[in-house]
Amino acid sequence: MMTTIVFWLLFLTFVSVFAAQVARRVRLIAAAPNTFSLDDVPFRIRRFATDVILQKRTIQERPVAGLMHAFVFWGFVAFALYTTVEFLYGLGIVDLRYTAWFGRYRIFLAPFAVAVLVGITYLLIRRAFVRPIALGTHVSIESIVIACFIATLMITYLLTFRLEEGTLAGRINWWVHVLVILAFLALIPASKHFHLVISPITVFLKSPELGNLPNLDFEKEQVGLETVKDLGSKSVLDAFTCVECGRCQVNCPAWGAGKELNPKAIILQTQDALLAGDREKKLGEVYTEKVLWQCTTCGACENQCPVGIEHLPILIGSRRGLVSNGDAPEYLGAMYNNLERRSNIWGLGYDQRAKFVQAAGLETFDAARHDVLVWLGCAGSFDADFQKSLRSLFEILRARQVKFGVLAKERCNGDPAKRTGNEYMFQELANANIEDLKAAAPKKILTSCPHCVKTIGSDYRKFGYAVEVVHSSVFVEELTRHGSASLSGERSRRTDVSGPRQTVTFHDPCYLGRYGGKVDEPRELIARFGGAIREPVRNRDNPFCCGAGGGLLFADKEEEPGSRISDVRFKQLRDTGANTVVTACPFCSIMLKGAQASAGADTQFVDLMTFVKDRL
Amino acid sequence: MILVIAEQRGGRLNRATLETIAAAQQLAAIASLPVSVLVPGAGAAGAAGEIGALQVKEVIAVDNAALEPYTPDGFTAALQDAIGQLSPTYVLLPHTYQTRDFAPKLAARMDRALITDVTGVKSTGGQTAFVRPMFQGKLTADVTPQGSAPYFVTLQIGAYRADQAAKGAAAAPVRALAVKVDASAIREKPEAPFQQAKQAVDLSQAERIVSVGRGIKEQTNIAIAQKLAEALGAEIAASRPICDAGWLPMERQVGSSGQTVAPKLYVALGISGAIQHLVGMKGSSTVVAINKDPDAPIFEIADYGIVGDLFEVVPAIIDAVKQ
Repeated sequence: MMTTIVFWLLFLTFVSVFAAQVARRVRLIAAAPNTFSLDDVPFRIRRFATDVILQKRTIQERPVAGLMHAFVFWGFVAFALYTTVEFLYGLGIVDLRYTAWFGRYRIFLAPFAVAVLVGITYLLIRRAFVRPIALGTHVSIESIVIACFIATLMITYLLTFRLEEGTLAGRINWWVHVLVILAFLALIPASKHFHLVISPITVFLKSPELGNLPNLDFEKEQVGLETVKDLGSKSVLDAFTCVECGRCQVNCPAWGAGKELNPKAIILQTQDALLAGDREKKLGEVYTEKVLWQCTTCGACENQCPVGIEHLPILIGSRRGLVSNGDAPEYLGAMYNNLERRSNIWGLGYDQRAKFVQAAGLETFDAARHDVLVWLGCAGSFDADFQKSLRSLFEILRARQVKFGVLAKERCNGDPAKRTGNEYMFQELANANIEDLKAAAPKKILTSCPHCVKTIGSDYRKFGYAVEVVHSSVFVEELTRHGSASLSGERSRRTDVSGPRQTVTFHDPCYLGRYGGKVDEPRELIARFGGAIREPVRNRDNPFCCGAGGGLLFADKEEEPGSRISDVRFKQLRDTGANTVVTACPFCSIMLKGAQASAGADTQFVDLMTFVKDRL
Repeated sequence: MILVIAEQRGGRLNRATLETIAAAQQLAAIASLPVSVLVPGAGAAGAAGEIGALQVKEVIAVDNAALEPYTPDGFTAALQDAIGQLSPTYVLLPHTYQTRDFAPKLAARMDRALITDVTGVKSTGGQTAFVRPMFQGKLTADVTPQGSAPYFVTLQIGAYRADQAAKGAAAAPVRALAVKVDASAIREKPEAPFQQAKQAVDLSQAERIVSVGRGIKEQTNIAIAQKLAEALGAEIAASRPICDAGWLPMERQVGSSGQTVAPKLYVALGISGAIQHLVGMKGSSTVVAINKDPDAPIFEIADYGIVGDLFEVVPAIIDAVKQ
C-alpha cells in the first residue's frame, strides 16, 4: 500500500513536470497563426508509413546509424504496452503481469530489447566518440544521459528473466525501470528527444509539396514574416520537433560551400526565440539577414529532414518580410527593376526574343493546330547559349512530327521573385502570364527550364490555373522511347547504339530531380543515346545545388572565387572523371560553366537536348 | 516671367542649372517672357556671378537660415514665399535628386501643376507644350499645363546642353530677395553630409572600354589588350574568369556580378559572351567582338565582329589606330 502511494506521488510529480513543459509548447503553437493543413491525406498516410513506421528518411542517408535508430524506434513501439502494464500495476489499478498473453508478449519483446541495446550502444559511441559534424561541435551531455536511460530500461527488462519477483534485487530492478521512465518523461519536452512524442504528428502535418508557400493575400495586408509572432503554427511545431541530427545542415549547399547559413541553426534559433518569448523580435535579427539571403531554395534541408520540418516557409517567409520592408540586397533591387520594366530577369528588350522566334522558325501557338505549347522562359528568350539547346529540342520535335508553337509574348514566370520573397511582383507576373495562357488554352506546356516546370506547373495552381507542364527530358524520353529501336522492355539498351559509349556525368537540377522527382527520364535518355553516366556525389533526388536558385544567380558579386556553391559543385562533377557534363537546366548550365571558366578547366558542357539531337 | 531655380552647394553651381537656363531661354523665345534665375542658399553670390554672364534679365539671390542645410520643408517654405513675391508664369527646375525631393511638395503646396522630366519645349497651335517621355521612354507626350500660373516644369538632365545657354551682352544685375520662413515648421534634422567611398575604378563613366575574356589565354597576354586600350584611350575591363584568376583586379569585372557599363565603344577580346557578361555591357553603343569561335554568343549582339585570332588581329588594329 505504502509503495503504491509513493509511486502515485512520484508519478504525479513527473507527469506534471512533463505536462507543464508540453503545455508551454502547445500554448506557443496555439498562439501562432494557423498554418496547419491536411490536404492530400492519402499521400500523408503513405509518407507516415514510409518515414515514421519504416524510418525511410532516417535510414536512406545514413544506412547504419539509421538502422540502429530504427531498432531503437521499433523497440520503443514494441515496449509501449509493456510499460503501460507495469505502470498499471505500479499505480495499483490492475495487475496484468501474470496473464497468459502478457507472458507471451514479454518473451516476444526479448529480441527487440537486444536490438535496442545494440542500436543505442552504436549511437552512443557514435555521438560520444566518433562525433560526426552534423551532430554539432560539442557532445550533448543530455543525449548521453538519455542513451544511458534507454540502455538501462532494456537491461532492467532483461534482468526480469533472471531476478525473482519479490526478492530485494527484483524490487530494486523494478524501481530502477519505472524511475528511469519517469525521469525520461520529465527530461524529453525540453530536449531534442521531444521528437519521440511529436515527430509523428509533424511528419503527418508536413506539406505534401516541397517548399509549400501559400500565396500572400494582399487584401488581408499579409506581408510575410516580420517578427517571431508571425511564424506559423507548423513552423512553431517544427522548432520543437527538431532532433538536431544535422541532415539539413550537411545537405545544405550554402553550408557545404562554407557560408554562414545552417538550416539546423535556423530551426534551433526559432526554438530559442519562441521559448525566450521574444515575440516582437525581428526575424532578420533572429537569423541575421545575411544568412537569410544565402539560401538557394534547393529544398535539400526540407527534403532530407526525417522529422517533417519545413525550412523553406521560414526562410522564404522571412525574405518576404524583409522585401516588404525594402530590405532586399542591392543585387535583387536591380533584378526587380528588370522584372518590373522588362518582365525578364536580364533587363533585356523583348525584341531579342522576337528575333530568336523568327530565326528559329517558331509559330505562334494555336490550340487547333499545335499539340504542345513550348515555353521559352527567360533563358530561352535571351541566352544565346541556351537557345542552342532549344534549337536542338525543336529539331527533335520536328523530326518526330510534334506540332508546337510558342506564345507571341512571355514574361518571366516569377520564380526569382517568388523565391526571393517578392510576392507582390510574383503575383503580378503570374496573373499576367495566366491570362495569356488561358487565352492560348494549351493542353500541355513543354519547357526546358525546371524552374518554369515548378512555377507554372505547381505554383500557378494556387491561382486556379492547372495545366500539365512537362520538362523536355520527360517529353523527349517518351517521344523517343519507341524510335527505330525494338519495343522490348530493354528501353535503355537500344540496339542501334553501337561502338563505345561516351562517358558523361549528369547534374540533376534541384527543381527537376528534387522538386519534380524526375530522375530516371534524363538518365534513360543519356543511356539510350549512347552515354555512360558516372554519377557524381549527391545525385538523383538529392543533388547539390549549382548555386543559382533563390535569386542567387545574381549574387556572386561579393563572393570569393573558389567558395561559390557553383565552384563546389563543379569540383564534385569533375571528380567523377568524366570530361563531359550533361545539364538539363539553363541556370545550372550558366553557373557551372562560370565555375569551369574560373577554374580554367577544359570540361565540356552539353545540354541534354543537344546530346540527344546529335545522336538521333 | 520665367523663373529658373538654380541648384548650388557652397557657391558651386550644379551644371544641370545651366541646361535648365538653356531650356528657359528657348521657352522665353516662344512665350515672349523674360528669364530670371533664383539662386537659393548660402554662397548664392558666388554662383550668381556665373549665371549673370548668361542672357538673363536678373539673378535673384535668396539666402535664409532655413535653406542651410538643405531640407525639403525649408526649401518648400522659402521658395513658396519667393514665388509668391515674384509671381512668375513658369518655374523651371533641373530634374536633380534635390528637385525630385522638394518640387512635388512645392507644387502641391501651391496647388499647381508639375510637369516632370521634360526633354523639350515647343509651340503647338499657339500653345506652349512640354515634351516628356512616357512608358519607360517608349513614347513621348506633348503636355500643356492647365489652370492658372505658375506652372512648374523640371528638365531632364542632359536634354539641353549647358553650352547652349546664350551669353548676355552685359552682366545681369544681381539682387537679394528676403523671404520669411517659420523655422519651427522645418521637421527634418539632416545629419552632416558624407561622401560614399568612391570605387577606385568607375567603369560606368568610361567612354571606351577594351574588355578581356578567357581567349586571352595567359596573364602575360593582358599586355596586348592594355596596348590596345592605350591606343584607343580606353579603360581596360574583363569578364569574371579573368578577375577570378587575379589577372585583373575585381573592380574591373563587367557583368551581372561586376560593374554595369555603357561606353560608346566596347571592344570584347576573346569573350564568348555568356549572358551574365552580356547583361553588364548591353548598353554599349558600339560593340566590337574579336573571337576565334564563330558561334560565340557575343557575335549575336556585336555591331562589328571579327572571327579570328586576337593575337593577330589586335596588333593590326593597334597599328591602324596609331596611323
